[in-house]
Order: sequence, then C-alpha cells, then structure tokens
Amino acid sequence: MQIEYLLVQSLINGLVVGMLYLLMAIGFTLAFGVMRIVNFAHGECYMLGAFAAYVCVTRLGMPFLAAIVLIAFAGVAFGWLIESAVLSPFRQDELSAMIVTLGLAMILQNLALLIFGAEPLFIPAIAEGVISVGSVVVPKARLYVVAISLVILVLLYGFLRHTKHGRALRATVQDAEIASAYGINPRIVYPLGFGLGVALAIVAGGLMAPIFSVSPFIGTGPMVKAFIVVILGGLGSIPGAAVASISLGLAESLGSTFFKTTSVDIGIFVAVMAVLVFRPDGLLGSAHK
Amino acid sequence: MAVAFAAAIAALVPLLTSSEFHLHLAIVMCLNLLAVNGLFIISRSGQLSLCHAAFMGLSAYVCAIAGKMLGLPFLAACSLGVVSGVALAFLLGKVVLRLKGVYFVLITFVFGEIFRLLVLEAEHFTGGASGITGIQPARIFGLLLDSKPAFFYAALILAAGSASLAVWLFQTATGQAINSVGDNPDLAEATGISVRKVQLFCFTLGSSMASLSGAFMASYTGYISPESFNMNASILLLLMMVIGGRKSIIGPLVGTLFITLLPEFLRGAVKTQNMFYGIVLIVILRFLPDGLASFRQRLRAQRDGNRKSHG
Repeated sequence: MQIEYLLVQSLINGLVVGMLYLLMAIGFTLAFGVMRIVNFAHGECYMLGAFAAYVCVTRLGMPFLAAIVLIAFAGVAFGWLIESAVLSPFRQDELSAMIVTLGLAMILQNLALLIFGAEPLFIPAIAEGVISVGSVVVPKARLYVVAISLVILVLLYGFLRHTKHGRALRATVQDAEIASAYGINPRIVYPLGFGLGVALAIVAGGLMAPIFSVSPFIGTGPMVKAFIVVILGGLGSIPGAAVASISLGLAESLGSTFFKTTSVDIGIFVAVMAVLVFRPDGLLGSAHK
Repeated sequence: MAVAFAAAIAALVPLLTSSEFHLHLAIVMCLNLLAVNGLFIISRSGQLSLCHAAFMGLSAYVCAIAGKMLGLPFLAACSLGVVSGVALAFLLGKVVLRLKGVYFVLITFVFGEIFRLLVLEAEHFTGGASGITGIQPARIFGLLLDSKPAFFYAALILAAGSASLAVWLFQTATGQAINSVGDNPDLAEATGISVRKVQLFCFTLGSSMASLSGAFMASYTGYISPESFNMNASILLLLMMVIGGRKSIIGPLVGTLFITLLPEFLRGAVKTQNMFYGIVLIVILRFLPDGLASFRQRLRAQRDGNRKSHG
C-alpha cells in the first residue's frame, strides 16, 4: 500500500515535470527546426517568463490565467524582436548564431539580476486544496499546470497543422530551400518560428513560477533537460521530444523517490551516453545530421 | 619566433609592475591562455567543446586531493591530474565525437553540468559545495613557487609552451590533417584522413592542456569549488577564443588578453560586467566574425577595396 502510494504520487509528479520539459523542448526544437539555431538563451527565456508571471500576478494583481495568456503573446513578440534585431545577420552560420545566443543569455541573466536581485521570489499558489482519489492525493495547482500545458500544446498543434503560417513553418522545417522556392517568406517564417520557440519557454517559466521559486538562476536546469530531450528525441522532431520528455520526467521522478536527485541526474546522463552509443539516431530513429 | 618575442616581452612584466594585482592578472591570463590554446586546437578540428572547464576542474580536484589525502608532491599530483584528464577526454571523446556540430556542443554542455553535479555529490572527497581549501603550492624540482613572481614565470613558460605547441602542430602534416578535417570533413574523409581519429586526437590533446591549466590554477589559488569550473567558466573560455578569433593562431592570445584586461577598464561596473561581455561578443561576431585578430586583415582588405574602387 505504502509503495503503491509512493509510485502513483511520483508518477503524477513526473508527469508535471515531463510537461515542463516538453514545453521547453518543443520550443527549443521548433526554433532549431526552422532556423538551424541552437538557442542557448532558451533557459533565460524560461527565467524571464517566471519573472513576467511574478510581476503580472503580484505587482499588477492579474489573475494567473490572464497573466499566462499575456506573457505568451509578449513572448512571441520578444522572440520576433530578438530574431530580427540580433540573430538575422547570422542565418547562414549556425555556430556563430549559437555563440551569439550565449551572449544573449549572459545579457538576459544579468539584466534580471540587476532588476530583481539574486534572492528567490515566490508567487502564491494558483489553487488551494487537493483532489484525492483513494489514497492518492494530488494538489490542484499541479493539475491545473498540466491542464494548461495540454491546452497550449493542442493550440500549437492546431496552429502548425491548420493555419497558413503554421504550414509555412512546417514546410521550412522540412526543407528551407524548397519552401522558399514555393514562395514562403523567410522574413516572416524565421522570426515567427523563433518567436514561438521563445514563447513556449516563457510560458513554461510562467507556469512553473507558482510551483517552484523565481530567481535569475532558474533557467539552467530546465535548459539542460531540454538539451537531453532533444539529444534523445532528435533535434527538430516534435514526436521525439514528446516521448523523450515524458519519459525523462517520469524516470527522474521515479528515480528520486528512491535515490538522491543528483544520483538520478548522473544516471540519466549515463543513459543518454548509452543511447548515443547504441541508438545514435535518437530513440525514435530520427536522424542526427 | 613571434611566440618567443611575445614571451620575452611578457617576462618583463614583474620588473615593470610592483602591483600584486597586475601580477595576479598576468598569472590568470597565462593559465587561461594555456586552456584556450587547447580549446583552439579542438575547435580547429571542427568541434566546439563546452565542457573545457570541466577538464580543468577534474585535474584541479585530482591534483588537490592527491596532494592532501595521499600526500603526493606537487609534480606527481599534477601529473596524476593531467593523466586523469587525458583518460577522461579519450573515453568521453570516443563516445561523444560521434556527434557533429550542434549536437556535440549540446552533449559537452550537458557533460559539463554533470561534472559539476558529480563534484557536489562526492562530498567525502571534494568537500561538496564548500570546495577544498589549503591546496599545496606548486613545487617543481625543489623550487617552491609560493611567491607571485615565481609562479608567474612558471605560468608564462606553460603559456608560451602551449602557444609554441600550437604553432608547431599546425606546421606539421598532422596540423594540415586537422585543418582539412575542420574545413571540410567529408572531403578529408574522402582523401583518406580518419575524421574521428583526428578529432579524438585534438579533443584529447586540447583537454589535456585544460587539465594542466586546472592543476596549476588549483595550486595557485589554493582553493577550488565546483563553481570555479561550472558552465560559465567553460563559456568564458569559449568567449576568449571567439573574441580573439577562432581561425587565427594568435586569436587565443588576443582573446585572453582582451577578456582578462577588460574588467580593469570597467571598474566599478562589476554588476554589468557580464552583460558587457555578452554585448561585446555579439558586436564582434557581427562586425568581425573572425575575431579581433582579424582586425588588421580587415582594415587592409577594406583599404585595398577602396583603392580598387577609386582606381
């Protein structure tokens, strides 16, 4: 009974973190798929999202859901701006572009440090109480986060599947040259792809802000996890990211019920290395090129 | 030749300044240059490593622990540190060099983070987050390097040695093979060069240089912690190389000089220093993609261009 309870509890926690990794990894892989840019500022975008949610909720007194919607749109605009102002000259050179995002990350982190200081900040929980099914207790706040994440993913899926710009994005991911030959305008698709990627990181940060604390240094952890997810799932592959991030979340959560968190992280790294040795094309076989 | 000249000038530093702080900067610069030259060799083979500081850290920890717990003399402890760096680089390289381009960058980044976690975890040996203090000062052949000028000369020899090694390496056939792998791996493979072997060689050699630098850094500062070798440290090394110029042999020198001295001109702006690094990085990549070392070439090219358009 005791062990069953622990297992179910950690499965649910794993699902919550898995959702977080999924939002991060899909944003990361989307920006990469469209622009071939590895965005090292992705973790700092997550951090900015958490601060944005903090400001909206505690300083401006907005309801949490409204804050998330607002920062999602602001995130697209922010990413769009960064792409067209800073990254666009580096479209031909993926390594330089990647180093530029390292510079961006330094700027954003220190900007946050300058404005908000290093002390962790907290947002009140978005929902009180728990839902109990049998002996398993789930905080409502965590369920909401999972539900909102799912809604965002469904919206994103609908956008990518059924709208003109979404299709243009997917075409560019598959083959940028052919896409532009068919009249897809890179001046819209590139900033849009990057903007959506950034917005997903920002929303992930906003959603997690009431669950974890908010400080300028929170971005690194989720970004490292997003990296692991895309290595496992294959860069640019959304189904790969989905499978990898949910498995990673579950493995982490189950592992840390029985072992120390750092030991689990180290074990996961060893597993990643093993995947590289035995399945160099990622778990789902999408090619590493 | 140029290396000898630069080293001779640098050797005068202790005579020119009596300021402990300037000497400290010079020492840090020399040890950084040793590591950045290693990063440069790796980068020439077409791979960017973001776990360079982890190798510095591994060797620093091995050297410090061997000195403290086993009572090994500095030279033996330092060698042990470098050997462990070489072994790890070889084994890690065997696995991760299957990955190319951005995938390699990602996996090395993740590895650097894991290294930090491992050090935190192995509290019994590494002291966890509080690190190791009171590391023995360097002693080489009975010569105790506990004063700043003495240590400076040792660091200078290491830095000049690493630069000479890089200059020499790229004049040999191996160096040409490295260049061809970095420029066009497919073509190199087609002409019979094993890309994997060349990259593994560069990764091991470059990381061993980082290891050497780390062991000396530990004995110089006398204190190490996991945060001395975190990903920011790796990024800073990469920054030095990129700002100096990752295509030019003097790039690492220019970059380490620039990044080490820059905070001196930004005194009183400690908080904004990292922001400034980021801005400089982006501006340089935008307008001088081959780094500060390419500035003169760039000027010359522009002048020639003007002459052509006028004449």
